[in-house]
Amino acid sequence: MKRASLVEFSIKHPVLTVVTCVILTGVAASQLPKITIDTNPKNMLPETSTVRVFNDEVESTFSLYEDVIVVGIAHPNGIFNAATLEKVQRITDEITNLPNVAARDVSSLTTIMNVTAENGALKVAPPMTEVPRTDEELAALRKSVLENPLFIGRIISADGKTTAIYVPLEEGANGKEIADKIREVVGKERGDEQFYVAGDPVARDTFGAVMFKLMGVFSPLAGLIMFIAIFLMFRNLSLCMSMMAVAMIAITWSMGLLIGLGFPVHIMSSMSPVFLMAIATDSIHIFNEFNFRYREKRDKTAAIIETMQAVGRPVRFTALATAVGFGVLMLMHIIPVQVFGGLVAFGTIALRVLSFSFIPAVLTFISAEKLEKAARAGDVEGGWAERFLRRLGYVGAHRPVITVAIGVVLLGGAILGISKIVVNNNMVEWFKSGSEVRTADTVMNQALGGTSLAYIVATANGGETYFQSPEAMHYIDGLQRHLEKLPVVGKTFSVVDYVKRINFVLHDEAPAFDAIPGNKETIGQYLFLFSMSARPMDLENVVDYEFTTANVWVQLKTWDAQAMRDVIAAVNEYKKTASAPVELRPAGIAYFNLVWNDEVLWDMVRGFIIALIAVFIILAFNFRSLKWALIGYIPLLFTVALIYGVVGFIGKDFDMPISVLSCLSLGMAVDFAIHFISRLKQRLAEFPDLQEALLWTAVRPGRGIMRNALLFASAFSVMLFAPLTPYSTVGAFIVSMMVLSALMTIVFLPALIVLLKGWLFRNAAI
Amino acid sequence: MKFKTLTLCTIVATLSLAWAAEDAAEIMRKSHLALYYAGNDQVTDVHMKIVDQKGKERVREFAMLRLDLEEGGDQRYYTYFKKPADVARMTFMVHKSVAGNDARWIYIPAVDLVKPVSADDKSSSFVGSDFSYEDVSGRHWSEDTHRLLPDSTIDGAAVYVVESTPKKDDKSFAKKLSYIDKATMLPLRERYFDKKGSLSRVFAAEKIDTANGITTVMVRSMEDVYAKRKTTVTFLSVSTNVGLKEEIFTERFLKSPPREFIK
Repeated sequence: MKRASLVEFSIKHPVLTVVTCVILTGVAASQLPKITIDTNPKNMLPETSTVRVFNDEVESTFSLYEDVIVVGIAHPNGIFNAATLEKVQRITDEITNLPNVAARDVSSLTTIMNVTAENGALKVAPPMTEVPRTDEELAALRKSVLENPLFIGRIISADGKTTAIYVPLEEGANGKEIADKIREVVGKERGDEQFYVAGDPVARDTFGAVMFKLMGVFSPLAGLIMFIAIFLMFRNLSLCMSMMAVAMIAITWSMGLLIGLGFPVHIMSSMSPVFLMAIATDSIHIFNEFNFRYREKRDKTAAIIETMQAVGRPVRFTALATAVGFGVLMLMHIIPVQVFGGLVAFGTIALRVLSFSFIPAVLTFISAEKLEKAARAGDVEGGWAERFLRRLGYVGAHRPVITVAIGVVLLGGAILGISKIVVNNNMVEWFKSGSEVRTADTVMNQALGGTSLAYIVATANGGETYFQSPEAMHYIDGLQRHLEKLPVVGKTFSVVDYVKRINFVLHDEAPAFDAIPGNKETIGQYLFLFSMSARPMDLENVVDYEFTTANVWVQLKTWDAQAMRDVIAAVNEYKKTASAPVELRPAGIAYFNLVWNDEVLWDMVRGFIIALIAVFIILAFNFRSLKWALIGYIPLLFTVALIYGVVGFIGKDFDMPISVLSCLSLGMAVDFAIHFISRLKQRLAEFPDLQEALLWTAVRPGRGIMRNALLFASAFSVMLFAPLTPYSTVGAFIVSMMVLSALMTIVFLPALIVLLKGWLFRNAAI
Repeated sequence: MKFKTLTLCTIVATLSLAWAAEDAAEIMRKSHLALYYAGNDQVTDVHMKIVDQKGKERVREFAMLRLDLEEGGDQRYYTYFKKPADVARMTFMVHKSVAGNDARWIYIPAVDLVKPVSADDKSSSFVGSDFSYEDVSGRHWSEDTHRLLPDSTIDGAAVYVVESTPKKDDKSFAKKLSYIDKATMLPLRERYFDKKGSLSRVFAAEKIDTANGITTVMVRSMEDVYAKRKTTVTFLSVSTNVGLKEEIFTERFLKSPPREFIK
């Protein structure tokens, strides 16, 4: 009743209503310039989260950098020629001069420490201090680099064709900006060399930047396509405008509120305009019904009031279902997820308030002539659309057993598919194959030990200098060999490698000494010897001052979260076979990616389940019946099951973006069922003939459902062409979800209702 | 007339600039000799403390013997480590050559092995501290171009300020400002700048004393601005002109240190 009065008020005072909306929008829009952007997915987890605290601690203990870019230089005939080496030197120099690059710790052939025996002397120096000119010098460099196991897979590929430069970034630096500058540096070089820029900061910051850019492109583009689609459906510019205006106003209000409250716009909340635009299409039911009513009555005011009475309840409940679906996200653990949920829930409510005020007000402005034209356009178009919808409804209503049987078979297949789903995340694969980021990563991972880095931190319970003991050395060495058995592990590296190397070199490279020395004193003195000549960071990276904590570097050949899971499993396995008073813990960027993806993913899954329950309760309230709630629930479950079944069958990883989409599916797929069942029951109350009422519902509100689905699908189909795979996924997901859930509602619901009519309509003579 | 004045001015300016440049180099020479060539030889007991950004400390103790073969020229250094315990008895020797590369040897008692150490890079860290080898034995003034800047004061002491730029591209620094005490000619501060023009390291003479009539920096520190680490070197004892012989600085003495100088 309150809503009806809002509608009446809006019709009586249309100018006041519109002006109020415009003023509120102006206020919200004034907040937009204050926008702050946070593209770092790390901030998905609060700084106080265990994984971030531990990673910070590890970085500080071992003087490690959070972000490292890897630059690859490859030559088809090998890099050991004067021209390529000159480029390596020049590029290293130029990179060290870039702002926000931690110049002192850039590692390349010209800066990394090499421990070698030279004419009986111990030499600790970078392999290349000057570019070799003669063939002998080149051969000597090649030999010394390729014979140092510390370098293979790290600074040089085993075939000598690729060398790498590791570029650590100062804290807070933007990986994409520095990657762009590095690309500029290598872009100046001429020759047969190929250059690659890879590493987590590149992928992460490029993704963040592209994501915001895409939001700027896709939101308006989706809006434009929707505009055209609405125009084709109603042939009335004013209708199109008011519908788009509702979406824009709601988006402005939501974003204005978010920014005004001082929240940064995070990757996740940047997606909300597109979500809201999608949810706004629900108003199409109002226009759809208005069109029918106006055609019947030819009285504008009466048509508006009747329309709002007819669709008011379903529209209100679909909005409630959507708002609750997103609102439950506010109960989740991850702050950006909470913000996103609250933002979309607020936007949904705003959309509905506008549906009951702004839309009726605008409808009063439209001249009778134009409405006449729109109604006639609908008539003409109605020919085939009506026949098609009637046929769909007919199949369900007259062939219920076959329809349901087909549904059950499909569902069985879907469940099989779901059982095959792999939970995984790979940020580099968010870029399409063939893209610069992904190619660089693939090439580097083939040539070298891997661009994704994890640490296994070993903490001794045995007190100071434990990691100088042969026992500890053998334990770490065993761990490394064990981890290297994994196909995803390209290289491991620890303090043991330094000790073995020094032992070997001090004894003039006699193979017997490529081993861990037998006593603690020797190891201590070797490491002291090493620290006398190397850069301080070389030793600090692998062991702490007191030798109580050691750090094993694990280079992974893939950014798959699964790879890190394999590493953790292998570590646990090793703990069972070998024992030492040592605690082993994973850390590093690969581990962080695993944790944050999992946290977000499972938080979304948890939210999805809670939302499912909440939506069911709303359905039960709406229909005042658990039975009807169950029936209304089926298209939703069916759609979700089928889509995940396909995801499982085609082997697409169930990743973070997909888990976010689940929530959207929930908000939308249930809408159609609410509209269908509400209107069916209204119709039955007037004309108690089930078959006739089902066909009427399939044709009339069904048209609104189809229009809604097509509108939605066409707008989101543009995303299929996005350069980032999560966007293509969103596009494909939404298009198929809309079409599927509309079909489910129009075909499957009638079949179910006919089959279960005895159960659903007790004591009713229909 | 006007033209002549201009020419004259130019000549005077050029001359005074040249004179100033030579003056700056002369100041650096004197400072270098005061810091690195005090007396003919010297025996010091050194305490070295390295403190990282988290406040964690590492301590090294060693005795250092120095013999000058020629004032401002070649030198011999002999280092005997006492702490940490696991490296006690390790010794390290440097034959510093102004003209060519230094020669270095290390003795590893655990395996009773003397090994020559190749030393191409003078800017590498000295025993993991913030001092480089060059900081310990001195960077020869002739390797840089010097320019005298306006005088200043450090902790109330009047100082020359000299700006030095390496003649040959050097990876350890691009520019250095030295603040040299006019009274003792010892550098009170040195500020090192990298290629990007940012301050990278700061040297400070924290305590200066006169021992055996020779003014010596008893406590000195080097701070790595980026790594937020600082190394402080304290001379526990200093004896100058004790009569060190060149034969001490040979491989034989690496294994059996000269006990009369090393306790």
